[in-house]
Amino acid sequence: MNAKQIHRFVERYLDATGCAILEKSPAHFKVKLSPAADRELTNRPYYWSFVDRTGVEPETMTLLLVTDPAKYDAMTTGVKAGGGGDGQAAQAGGSGPAADGRQAAQTGGSGPASQAVPPGARPEAQADGAGSPAGAPGAAEQAGMAALSRSFGFVPAGIGARVPRDDLYFGSRRLEQLFAAARRGGRFVCLFQQPDERALHPYDSLPCTPWLGVNVKVGFVCDMKREELHAFGVSLATGAVVEGFFDRLQGMKLPPRLPANVHVTGASLSLKKAADLIEQALMRKLKAYDYGWAAAANGRLKEELAQLAHYYEPLVESAGEGEKESIAAQYEARKEEIRWQLAPRVVAEVVNAGLFHLTGLA
Amino acid sequence: MHPIPRADRGAGGAGKSPHSSVEFVFDRSWVDELAERAARNGPWDDWTLFALAVEAERAKLVTSFDELQSLRCLPAFEPMPHQIATARKVLREMGGRAILADEVGLGKTIEAGLILKEYIVRGLVRRALILVPASLVLQWVRELNQKFGIPATAQKKAHTWHADFVVASIDTAKREPHRELILSRDYDMLIVDEAHKLKNRKTSNYQFIQQLRKKYCLLLTATPVQNDMDELFNLITLLKPGQLGGQSEFVANFVADKRLPKNEDRLQEALSAVMIRNRRSDGGIAFTKRIVRNIEVKLSPEEKALYDAVTGFVRERYDESGRDLASMLSLVTLQREVCSSRDAVFVTLFNLFKKTAEDSPMRAKIWELVEFIRRIRANSKAEKALELIRETGDKTIVFTEYRATQEYLLQFLKQHGIHAVPYRGGMNRGKKDWMMDLFRGRAQVLVATEAGGEGINLQFCHHMINFDLPWNPMRVEQRIGRVHRLGQTNDVKIYNLYTTGTIEEHIVRLLHEKINLFEMVVGELDDILERLEREEQPLEQRLARLVLEAKGDADIRRGIDALGRSINRLRADAKRTASAGGPEAALPVLSVVPDGPDAAAEGRP
Repeated sequence: MNAKQIHRFVERYLDATGCAILEKSPAHFKVKLSPAADRELTNRPYYWSFVDRTGVEPETMTLLLVTDPAKYDAMTTGVKAGGGGDGQAAQAGGSGPAADGRQAAQTGGSGPASQAVPPGARPEAQADGAGSPAGAPGAAEQAGMAALSRSFGFVPAGIGARVPRDDLYFGSRRLEQLFAAARRGGRFVCLFQQPDERALHPYDSLPCTPWLGVNVKVGFVCDMKREELHAFGVSLATGAVVEGFFDRLQGMKLPPRLPANVHVTGASLSLKKAADLIEQALMRKLKAYDYGWAAAANGRLKEELAQLAHYYEPLVESAGEGEKESIAAQYEARKEEIRWQLAPRVVAEVVNAGLFHLTGLA
Repeated sequence: MHPIPRADRGAGGAGKSPHSSVEFVFDRSWVDELAERAARNGPWDDWTLFALAVEAERAKLVTSFDELQSLRCLPAFEPMPHQIATARKVLREMGGRAILADEVGLGKTIEAGLILKEYIVRGLVRRALILVPASLVLQWVRELNQKFGIPATAQKKAHTWHADFVVASIDTAKREPHRELILSRDYDMLIVDEAHKLKNRKTSNYQFIQQLRKKYCLLLTATPVQNDMDELFNLITLLKPGQLGGQSEFVANFVADKRLPKNEDRLQEALSAVMIRNRRSDGGIAFTKRIVRNIEVKLSPEEKALYDAVTGFVRERYDESGRDLASMLSLVTLQREVCSSRDAVFVTLFNLFKKTAEDSPMRAKIWELVEFIRRIRANSKAEKALELIRETGDKTIVFTEYRATQEYLLQFLKQHGIHAVPYRGGMNRGKKDWMMDLFRGRAQVLVATEAGGEGINLQFCHHMINFDLPWNPMRVEQRIGRVHRLGQTNDVKIYNLYTTGTIEEHIVRLLHEKINLFEMVVGELDDILERLEREEQPLEQRLARLVLEAKGDADIRRGIDALGRSINRLRADAKRTASAGGPEAALPVLSVVPDGPDAAAEGRP
């Protein structure tokens, strides 16, 4: 994923979860989270259980999500040079000038704390500082952060800062978290295709057929791993199985309620049966694959087990009564580990699934 | 015992398989939930999130068995080529079980982090345990978080064991109640830093590690075998039992003598399947230069008087003791301290005074020395150091051997308006980290008594002053290693202060001119010192004897020259055998280079 794709991803997530975007540019969002997104992203289970039990109005967090750190830094530094840093941010209605001034100070470079540092040492002092790129604020706060990071080794960006900043690059924690949140929040859907308005006769009713759509991630695993993603669709009317089903849905309007002038034809297949069909289709597909990697892994497994046997069997044999048991147990443990590590397997895991009512009688 | 691939078995219809060589698992847990929601007509999830979930999975997909996936996830830094090559090799050829034995300063931590990250990205590691010396816990946590975005946690309280990526000290981990908790879990990956401490199978550390259940395992050490075949066997067995055969076979096949291998080609081969050792001399690893300057300091007449008085005092005691070196070492310290600061001498003299009986004639002599101390008004060396620090105007680390000198320097620098912070072995972890933070931040100078303390990394600083020089060259090398390591982008400037007309002058000459220590490669020095020790006494003791017995300056000079010659002879030996690959090749086990010819240990760092 490049910065642009990440930006788009984040925007759609924020939008779908009803977050209020306070400020945005092609390089960042400043966003006040919706309660749903706050529960997913801020890791505050105690706070939320407090809210749930007492029924108080929740105070959600505001985040600064930077999708293109280089561009964002250049931008904010530029703003500061123009002398309008605080003005611009305050205008955007963020969380007040204090927080924004802090950012400008950080990117601009001279916090009060770093004045005594000789020039050559400055960049490191900043980069390595308190482990918190967002909060290079007043000396007291900085000292607090430094103390925390001394105690815990690392403090995730922005704990303690009022608007924590997160750089979202591929592989970053926050983006991983967004991925996981999307997966948790988008497991099962039930949708209806909105037919093209113009094609409709006012008194007609269009038939539409229920489909089961399933996205399956297939992992080929030994001590290494390769993955594929497959999107199967099964017509619950006919039992026809198609691949690439997810892509077929792109570009359709898919409201969650039955549109007017549409009726759903009956399903003749149970979901269980449909799942069987998908498994069979997947199996047929997988049969055609090359399993050289698995044979090789089995070969290695055999070798390793032989090596273990060679080492442990005489050892168990010759051990005294007291030791025998513990050595045998160790041998078993080593064998289990090796199988765990090397035994080749194909694991099909369902990412999400849904019922899609699509026009037509297929 | 737990059935191990728990995660993969799970709820699902295992059934037929697409191929006889693999087990097949198809997850069906979703069918019931979907049916349930359909029956109740909801609740349904959001279509956008549904689509985003698929997009996220697509983006994360591991498309190839081979290619390193983690590289695109590391915007924070770029690993060096040899680190990437190491990670690749561990993943592809070693199946995630390896001893990483790079020389100091080549970034073993980075390699381990890279391998861990790769397995995480591939979804093969969800939970890892990282066992390191207590002093390194926070540093590991920091590196994993900052460089790799791995949410590692330092083990603090019982509940932190439940985190997915825990960094803990091995000494804590092996004790109850932690021990039981750890042993009841399966770890996808185990990393042990400073693994050479696991060379004795009788120790509780060794047995603890042996009992852990893990899938992948990395052992990190810069000194894989301290020239002992048994230890080598134990370390490898911890990782892969049977790799070198059973104990008796190993002895029969590979051991000529306790410290000497045989059938080296086969041993090398067996080792290279589990061990990777990158060396500075392999090339391709760019280090900045070391620029060494020896700075002469002239003692003031008062200081010189003290020096002579102490020298006389020490010699006298030595002769009195019947030339027994062992009992003299503390007095030799006195002789060395006098080159450092009067404060250091004073502390030692004071202690000596307290120890001697009240009616001993020694007391009067000690008192005389104290009188000499009293006459000294200024420390010429400290003034020189101040001058240097002002000249560079940059971050500088000052090393001294003595606590009293350290205190004095801190105060002295403060008086002259230079912000300096201390660092010493006795500080607890938190305080050490605090001092590091201060030095990284606003302090200009770090005055340190300890260089050992594995893992103080000071790449951001490239000026180093040896206020006094240790007599053990390894300690000098360790000092330099703090600053001159991977990630150092500037040439490192090393200033050795020495006082003329004292033993220091000779030490500097020996270390710098005779054995050219400052430009030597780490592994090489290690090897030479070990040889020296095997032949005769350790270098430190030889120096002490020389100082105590020499009749005059010329005598010392001759002694030092002889010492230098014998070190250089050993060094030449080492080179010859290393390049000839003969049986005496200083245990080339130590210098396994799986990826290339065993280059002679030469070349500038």
